[in-house]
This record gives sequence, structure tokens and C-alpha cells, in this order.
Amino acid sequence: MALLNSTANSHKERYSLLWRWHIDAPLLLGIIALMCFSLLAVYSAGGESIALVKRQAVRFAAGLVVMFVLAQFEPRTFRQWAPALYAVGIIFLLAVIFFGESSKGAQRWIDIGIRFQPSEIMKLAVPLMVAWYFAEKALPPSFLQTIGSLVLVLTPVVLIMLQPDLGTSLLIGASGLFVVFFAGIRWRYILGAILIAAVLIPIMWYFVMHDYQKGRVLTFLNPERDPLGAGYHIIQSQIAIGSGGIYGKGWLNGTQSQLEFLPERHTDFIFAVIGEEFGLVGIVLLLSLYAFVIVRGIYISLQGQETFSRLLGASLILTFFIYIFVNIGMVSGLLPVVGLPLPLISYGGTSIVTLMAAFGILMSIQTHRRLHST
Amino acid sequence: MYKRQAIKDVGRETSMFFARCIVALLIVFILLLVLISRQFKLQVLDYEKYQTQSENNRISIQSVAPVRGLIYDRDGKLLAQNRSIFTLEITPEQTRDLPKLVQELRKVLSISDEQVLKFLEQIKFRPKFNSYVLKSNLTEEEVAKFSVVQHMYPGASLEARLERYYPYKDELVHVLGRMGAINVEELEAMDEETRLRYAATSKIGKLGLERYYESILHGEVGSQRVETDVRGRIIRVLERDEPVAGMDIHLYLDLGLQRKATQLMKEVGARGSIVAVDPATGGVLAMVSQPGYDPNLFTGGISSEDYRKLLTPERPLYNRAVQGTYSPASTIKPHLAWIGLKEGVITPDTKVRDPGWFSLPNNDRRYRDWKRWGHAPYMDVVDSIIESCDTFFYDLAVRIGIDRIHDGMMQFGFGQKTGIDMEEEKIGILPSREWKRSARKEPWYNGDTVNIGIGQGYWTVTPLQLANATAVLANDGIRYQLQLVREFVDGNIHEQNVPVMAYHQIEVGDGRWLDLVKESMRDVITGTKGTARSAFQGAEYIAAGKTGTAQVKSLGEEEEYDAETLAEKFHDNALFIGYAPYESPQIAIAVVMENAGGGGSNAAPIARKLMDYYLIEQYQESEETTEPEVETNGTAQ
Repeated sequence: MALLNSTANSHKERYSLLWRWHIDAPLLLGIIALMCFSLLAVYSAGGESIALVKRQAVRFAAGLVVMFVLAQFEPRTFRQWAPALYAVGIIFLLAVIFFGESSKGAQRWIDIGIRFQPSEIMKLAVPLMVAWYFAEKALPPSFLQTIGSLVLVLTPVVLIMLQPDLGTSLLIGASGLFVVFFAGIRWRYILGAILIAAVLIPIMWYFVMHDYQKGRVLTFLNPERDPLGAGYHIIQSQIAIGSGGIYGKGWLNGTQSQLEFLPERHTDFIFAVIGEEFGLVGIVLLLSLYAFVIVRGIYISLQGQETFSRLLGASLILTFFIYIFVNIGMVSGLLPVVGLPLPLISYGGTSIVTLMAAFGILMSIQTHRRLHST
Repeated sequence: MYKRQAIKDVGRETSMFFARCIVALLIVFILLLVLISRQFKLQVLDYEKYQTQSENNRISIQSVAPVRGLIYDRDGKLLAQNRSIFTLEITPEQTRDLPKLVQELRKVLSISDEQVLKFLEQIKFRPKFNSYVLKSNLTEEEVAKFSVVQHMYPGASLEARLERYYPYKDELVHVLGRMGAINVEELEAMDEETRLRYAATSKIGKLGLERYYESILHGEVGSQRVETDVRGRIIRVLERDEPVAGMDIHLYLDLGLQRKATQLMKEVGARGSIVAVDPATGGVLAMVSQPGYDPNLFTGGISSEDYRKLLTPERPLYNRAVQGTYSPASTIKPHLAWIGLKEGVITPDTKVRDPGWFSLPNNDRRYRDWKRWGHAPYMDVVDSIIESCDTFFYDLAVRIGIDRIHDGMMQFGFGQKTGIDMEEEKIGILPSREWKRSARKEPWYNGDTVNIGIGQGYWTVTPLQLANATAVLANDGIRYQLQLVREFVDGNIHEQNVPVMAYHQIEVGDGRWLDLVKESMRDVITGTKGTARSAFQGAEYIAAGKTGTAQVKSLGEEEEYDAETLAEKFHDNALFIGYAPYESPQIAIAVVMENAGGGGSNAAPIARKLMDYYLIEQYQESEETTEPEVETNGTAQ
């Protein structure tokens, strides 16, 4: 124990202070680099509004504090909280369905002093819960255990779908399924699930999806179907990205964003602003930063010495990537328009805090592992 | 660790987790490659396409309307100006859902169904990138109200536009005409080039001078390349090709005389027309058609309620000076006398028995003189003009014959356009054998000729023709083409342009006959038996003239004309023609008053007052005349 500690300390002498504070320096570096990128992009997309940048910086600061606080806890603590958090989340989701406030035709908000979206809790609670479920089991899980884990995943997914918020429910479902994946679920189950999904999709189309969601899909398949309505977003964002070329039009010089042709510039479509102003070079740089953070996250998960930590860490970082992929895919016309922010870059509220909480958990996994190694 | 199940195999689990992480990373990298290749496609392979689309978004070419030329009277008084007003306009290209936008705007501002329909008609065949007026003449309150919420309505904007304004309203409407929105027919009639010239223009001259000189007043369209934001607000102008203002027009018209004539007609409540001409040029000094209306009502699009108010039996929309055709009655007796003298049908000594009626040989029908018992046992041509003896002229007409009357009267400009700069001009009817054959499918009878002798029957003339024929006498036989416009002034280069004065010298023949006719006309006014004597009592100049009283309803042979029992619309039309001063004519006037009674007592006094004004009073008048408020701001140049 002492030996391991001393090697670790000598090895990480430069980060000794950060280490003691349970901060993983490379991960922090990647996050801060992305945050800087975000502030530049928000300043440009928001019409050179300093106020907007300040508000975003405040959110980042709050997120960093949350991350720092969570990093102080041992993974064991998260494991202990997991069932309670999951239960609270389910209760809130039920509350939303019965008492929730409606916004833009969907019930997502609940008022308990401050208005918040219970589905934000579930972004963390679902992977925590499924990881908790597998923590002591022999892996790969048996068929019954797999079914059990799927019940844990699908319950909140269905509840969120009822709000209805298809995009979030699918992503939360994904975060739970990633845990199942890392737990070693057999490939044949995965193939079977894919087959079932193939059957389910038409059923969803006719019985579950709302007209506006169908419209999004149809418009995605053919943006010209509605060039001034829903297709307008996709067309304008592709024009923005494409006209940026290799080197971009330069910071603050994107005509698509500055002249407001691009909708939702500083929130969901901020990637198009980056593409227009910084070009392919900027995009590759951004994706490299993301790749760095993801690789570091996977590395941390691999270092994890408990099943719970590993499954949770790997699932959180893969979910992070899925958000990136869905957002960029949507903005550049590969996927239908779903209202998802670009992690760490888009201007936006609660999602930053949730995301930073996830990074806090990753840091906790990374920096507390030796204490359990005896 | 917390091993409760013996079967948990840590080593196997670790290697399996490692394998799963590798798979996950692999998938992540494949998907990242997908994303990058997508951006590569957009930014490198399709760069040109998106670059162009981005430029098209950003840059638009707008047409810039030229400033319309102004119209002035002979002394440079402004008759038609451009006033700046606020309009609510829509650029169809920048709207997402046009019907919905219009619907939303109607919640904020009061916009009538009519205005919406007019707007929709306007945009039907016109380029979508220009803006079109939905509502004009916004009040300050409406402007303030809309400015606050404008950002919520992309495609809709407030514009300050120059709009035509006529300070003298109804007094000049039948000269200047009016403006209105370009309609579909007008648009379809334009060739491609003209359509481009009108790309930014929404109003076009509909009547009068505004219509006739549309191409001169309009000017040349300009254009600008602008960078706009998504709401179409201009961020900056990249390039600008300035429009060229239309030329200004200066008229022969004397505003004072025009207003005086309108006022005199209004005072007696008369419907009719007054045309005053400068005999030396053919320039029109005044051209009144009463009643008139306010052309400003039409500029921003007249409401159907206002329009209905104009559809009265008095027909204010009808331009009597140009389109009204009236029996000339006795006013053409001097001309007929001259034809008779010139053709040798009569001499100054020829006398005709006047029992108070005339009849054709072998025909019992009596054509009565207006004086039931006749003027004198025998009448010569001079006295017949002075006293307006009908019997003499019945006889004269038959002696000359319809063919020579027709040809002679053509010389005075009857039966043809005066050539005035008005598209609406009518020609009336100068009857002839051919005319009757084709129009009435009947041969010409001698009885038809009798009525022509006193300017009745089939013969109709416009007030313009009457004034012109008067000027021909005053001018010793030179007939000018009537002309409202004296010159065009290009405000940009200060170049003046005078339209060509066209004239026609009629075959005068022996000059004595013309003099004799003119002297007779002078004695109509100065002679003791002159029919216009009382009207011109005490005039400070010598005038020449001829009265006319036209029957509107033909009376039976034994029927008496009795104004008391006859419906007003069958009352006689009062006419007068004249010029002054006798020796060197400066003004020739024709007055036609519908259903006003006798020409000598009703039309002649008005001509007298106008001659007084034109020859004397206007030089004495101080600046006290009441001028309508002419707005100085917003006028062009």
C-alpha cells in the first residue's frame, strides 16, 4: 500500500496537489480546453454579447464546483446512493406526468421551489442504478439478470417517453444499455435486440411518435420537403458549415450566424457556427479534444478496480460521446433534428451541471482507486 | 472485495471488460470518422455550392425607385408634389408564410380586406424580392406601435416612401389626373424593359397628365447590392446604382385662372367645363371640369366606400373638358358664316326673310327661331351673328350643304382630336354623309342639314374643340395643336426641353370675310343688340364672343320651352365662346354649363369674369390669395 502510494506520488509529482484534491489533470485539461472553445463560439454566435459569455462562464464555474465536490467522494458512496437517487428520479418522473408543467407541448418540468427537469437526474441515476445492479454479480450476466437490468433501464425510458421527450429518453436508455454492454452481455442478445428494434421502429412510428417527431424524421430524410419550416434549420446549418470551407470565414465573420440566418445559433446549432467560422480545421481540432477526453475516460474506466466503477465510468463517457455524435450528426444533416445540446460547447443550463457531475464521478473513480486496492 | 458469489471470476471479468472497451473505442473512432468525413463532404467537396448559397442568403439586389418628376404651373407654382409617408411593406421572399404574416399583422394594425386583396393582386406577377405596400399612410401612432413589434414579423417593414400629393385637390384633378397602384393589366401591357424600369415602382399615372407623361415623369430605376440579415434589414449597402429622377413638367396652365374658373363654376353650382387657351401658342391656360374630386384619395388606394361616394349623377370622375361631347349650338354660327362667305354662298349683303321660322321647300315642317316672331323682316349675316338669328343660319346651312360644312368645320378642328396631351380625349361627332351612313345606316336628309346650321342635331363637340375653334378665329386662321405642357425640365442636368408646337394654317381665302365675322363677334359683346352685351357691360377691354343655348331635349314643333315644367336634366346647356382683347388676343375661352339655361345670361358672365381676371385683376392682386398648404418637406429636389 505504502509502496504503491509512493510510486504513484513520485510518478505524479507534478500533479501532486491536484491528485490530493482528487482531480485528474489530463481530463481537467481537456474539459477546460473545450470550455474555452465554447466561450469563443458563444461570444460569436450570441452576437458578440459579453453578458451571454459571462453567464456561460458562471455555469462552467458552477459545473466545475459540482465536479470538484463529487470527485471528493469515493465510488462506494455513489454506489450506496444509487438506489435512492433512482427511486427519487422515478417518483419525480411520475410527478411530472401527473402534475408537471407543460412547455412547448411537452411536460418536462416540475416545480419544487426551482423548476427543473427530472430527466436530468435520470441521466446519472440510470447508469448508476444499472452499475449498482451488476456490481456484485458474476459477469457476464445470465439471461434473467439481463432481463432484470433491462427493466431498470426501460422503466424511466418509458416514463420519459410519455412526457413526451423521445430524444432524451433514447439517450438515457442508451446510457443504461451501455452499462449492460460493458457488463458483458452476450453478443447474440445484442443481435437479438437489434432485430427486435427493427420490428419496433414501425410500431413506434404509428403508435408512439407524435406528429412533430414524425415531421422531424421526414424532414431529415428530405429537408427540401419544408425548406422554410422544419427543413430550414438543416438547410441553413449545412450552408453555414459548407460555406466555412477548410479554414473558415474567421472568428466573428460567419455571415450565416452573424446575419442570423442560422437558427438556435448559440444553443443546439453552435457546431454550425464553429464549422462556418473555423472551417474543417476548427472542427477537427474540436473533435480531437473530444476524442482526447473520451480516450482518457475509457482509460480511467479500465483502471477501475471495482465492477461498479468500471461499468459506470465506461457508460458515462460513452454517453458523453453519443451526445456529441447525435448533435453533430443532426447539425450536419446526418441525423434528424433532435433538441440536444453539444456537450460542453452549447450555451445552456442544467445539462452542463449534469455533465460535470459525470466528470466528477469519473475523477472520483480515477483518484480513489488505490484506497481499495488492498 | 465483496465476493458473495463463488462463481465471480475477477480475471475473466477484467479481460472481458477490456475487450468491451476496445470495441467501444473502435466504434467511437469509426463514428468520429463518419462525422469528419461528413464535414469533409460539406466543407471541401460541396464547398462551392454552400458558398454560393451563403452569398445568396446574405446579398440581395434591390431596385431603388426613382423620384417622380414634379408638375408646375406657368409661374413655377407646384401642382403635383412628392410627400413622404410611412408605409407598411412586405417582401414576399423574406416571409415564411405570407398569408399567416398578413393575418398576424392585421391583429396589430387595422388593415382592411380591400387592402389585403390589393396587395395580393400587386404581388401576383412581380418579383418576390421587392417589397410591396400593404398599408400606406400610417399615422404616427401606428408607426410607433409597429416599430416596437417589427422584429416579430420577418418580411414586414416600415418604409418611408415618397407619395404623390396634389395640394389643389379637386381644382386640378381633370388636368393632372391621378396615380394609383399598378394593376395586372398595366403590368401585362409592359414589355420586359419597362417592367424592369418599374421594378421598384408601385404607383403609375392613371389619368390626365400623370398618365400621358408617365414615361417622362417616372425616371430611371436604380439598384443596390445590399447585405441583409435574415429579416431583410439592410446591414450595409455594397454597391449602388443611383436612380435618375423623372423630369419635371412645366405647364402653360395659369393656376390663378384655373382656380378662379373652378370657383366661379362652384359658386353657381354648375356642372360643365371651361377651357381657356392662349391663341398665340395653343397652350392651355385653364381646363376645368366641374364637379371634380380629390385625386389624393386614389394615391394610397381608394376605399370602396369613398369610391361609391364619387359615383353620383353629377359624375365627378368624368372629365367633361376632354371627354364631354355637347351640341355646340349657336357658338359655331361665326364659323358657319365664314364658310358661307368664303364659299361665295352668301355676301355681306345677302338678306334672308325671317318670319320666326324656316322651312324647306316642299316641306311643311317649320324650324323655329328662338325668337318666336323673328328678329326683323330681313336679316343679313352680321346681324344674324350679333342677334344669333336661327332662321338665317338654317337657310345658310342648307345653301352651303353638309359636305362643305363638314370640310370647313374640319379646318377649325371639329371632328378630330385637338392633339392635347391627354389620352382620354374624345372627338365628338362632326356629321357627314359617310358618318350617317356608317353610324346610323341611313342616308343624309336635308332636314339634318338645317339643324347643323344652329349647331344642333347630330353635331357634338368637346369643350376643348370649342376653345380651339375660337382661338383659330382669334388667330386669323392658325390652328395650334392644344398643349398643356410648356416644357420639360431635367432637374439633374438643368436641361429644358420644349415640345414641338404643331399648327395648321387654314385656307383663309379673302381676309375680309374673317374680319367681318370677327367684327360681328365683337358686336355680340359691344353692339346694342348683342346677346352677350349685358354680361360684358363696363369691361375695360374689347372682347369678341358668341353665345349658345343648346336644347338638350328636342321639342315638338308647337312645344314651348319652359324651364319651370321641364326636368332639370332637360334644361338647356349654356355655352359661350370668346376671346380678348379684340385687337391682340391673349385668351380664348369656351364655357359649357350643363342644364344652366341661356348662354348669354349664364355662360357669358363667367367668361367675362375670367377675362377680367386674366387680363387685369391678376396683375393687381396682392399676395392675399388663399393658398392651400404646400408641404415643403418631402418634395423632390
